[in-house]
Amino acid sequence: MGIRGVTVSDVRGFGAQGGSTERHGGSEFSEDKFIAKVKMEIVVCKDQVEAVVEKIIEEARTGEIGDGKIFLIPVSDVIRVRTGERGEKAERMSGGRADMMSLTASID
Amino acid sequence: MVVAQTTTTPLCGRLPFRSLHKDDFNPNPSFLPARSTPPSSLAAAASITTVPASSLPAVQTPAQARVDILSESLPFIQRFRGKTIVVKYGGAAMKSAALQSSVINDLVLLSCVGLRPVLVHGGGPEINSWLLRLGHEPQFHNGLRVTDALTMEVVEMVLVGKVNKSLVSLINSAGGTAVGLCGKDARLLTARPTPDAAALGFVGEVARVDPGILRPILADGHIPVIASVAADENGQSYNVNADTAAGEIAAAMGAEKLILLTDVAGILEDRNDPDSLVKEIDISGIRKMVMEKKVAGGMIPKVNCCVRSLAQGVRTASIIDGRVPHSLLLEILTDEGAGTMITG
Repeated sequence: MGIRGVTVSDVRGFGAQGGSTERHGGSEFSEDKFIAKVKMEIVVCKDQVEAVVEKIIEEARTGEIGDGKIFLIPVSDVIRVRTGERGEKAERMSGGRADMMSLTASID
Repeated sequence: MVVAQTTTTPLCGRLPFRSLHKDDFNPNPSFLPARSTPPSSLAAAASITTVPASSLPAVQTPAQARVDILSESLPFIQRFRGKTIVVKYGGAAMKSAALQSSVINDLVLLSCVGLRPVLVHGGGPEINSWLLRLGHEPQFHNGLRVTDALTMEVVEMVLVGKVNKSLVSLINSAGGTAVGLCGKDARLLTARPTPDAAALGFVGEVARVDPGILRPILADGHIPVIASVAADENGQSYNVNADTAAGEIAAAMGAEKLILLTDVAGILEDRNDPDSLVKEIDISGIRKMVMEKKVAGGMIPKVNCCVRSLAQGVRTASIIDGRVPHSLLLEILTDEGAGTMITG
């Protein structure tokens, strides 16, 4: 869908589960036990946000406790270290959504 | 003709395959017709029949077909080599001697080619018959066995002492080496009472799994056979549902596959149409089917156990038809499978 970059970290976490337990590796964990999780950070233009959120939910939802949460955070600027570009130019990645959009536009 | 030769020569170089050529590899007649799509090498083999002046017989011999099928299973074996497969064994496959020996042989074969099968078993019918011998009526509540103190003793004796050991000795006779365990051994499973304890008695949920003991057993090439009886922190025995135990053990081991052997063909899209078998579906798809009431009552706990397992990282969970001979091989070593595969 045109998302060309993501940062993934292995973290530990838990969330209040209203008394139920989360299952991880066959064992049950109550609310205050840290469980290994994966954190994904994706920076996109505002207009891509809803599509990305929907895709994450579609692929990651299992319906069990522990599916996780998505936090939408505004980013004040994006800077590409290699070239010094800022803003929309820095956010843009080759083969990404912006390229996909312009390709469909030119076909029409 | 050249094409057919190139597909069969790789077979000679592979050491694991040599052991398959022993007489005990049984090309059960039902195994052959299950290959629906004619793959390229079978088509190439068929083309041999049209070549006139050749030393090969005019009719495709069973041996030729046999090695073609064997060589097609190579990509599957490569994909799953070294991976853990948890098989829950129960139902009709346990009752008929012929089906039982086909499952046992399949397990030994999988172990020989380098997969790591783990067998988890139930044993409802045996437990029932022994309870009746003691003059105790078996009782069920919502599909789960009502387990009072006497029933718990009988369950433990029958599952761990009789069913478990008879499976271990069958595997040993078939050429594998099996190690029989129950949830209590090495604290493999730790139980806690179900919320329904008042009605069900000593029926347990899996609180914790410690798969430590299984690693050395599998690493040494043995097949663990696990009875789903466990104890809580205080040593009180609990009867754990074998499907649940299998699912949680699969999750704890990071298994590649969870396979539940059942008495039905799998999950049907339309209950009344046996041809509407759902071959592959993902978690959201199966949840939708449950919500649409397309999944029968008895199948729902199995589906839930599969989903729970998948949510914890097991790659695929399959519900397969245990009444079909060699259903395990069909599911693992062919594209068609033998039932419904749910993917994460």
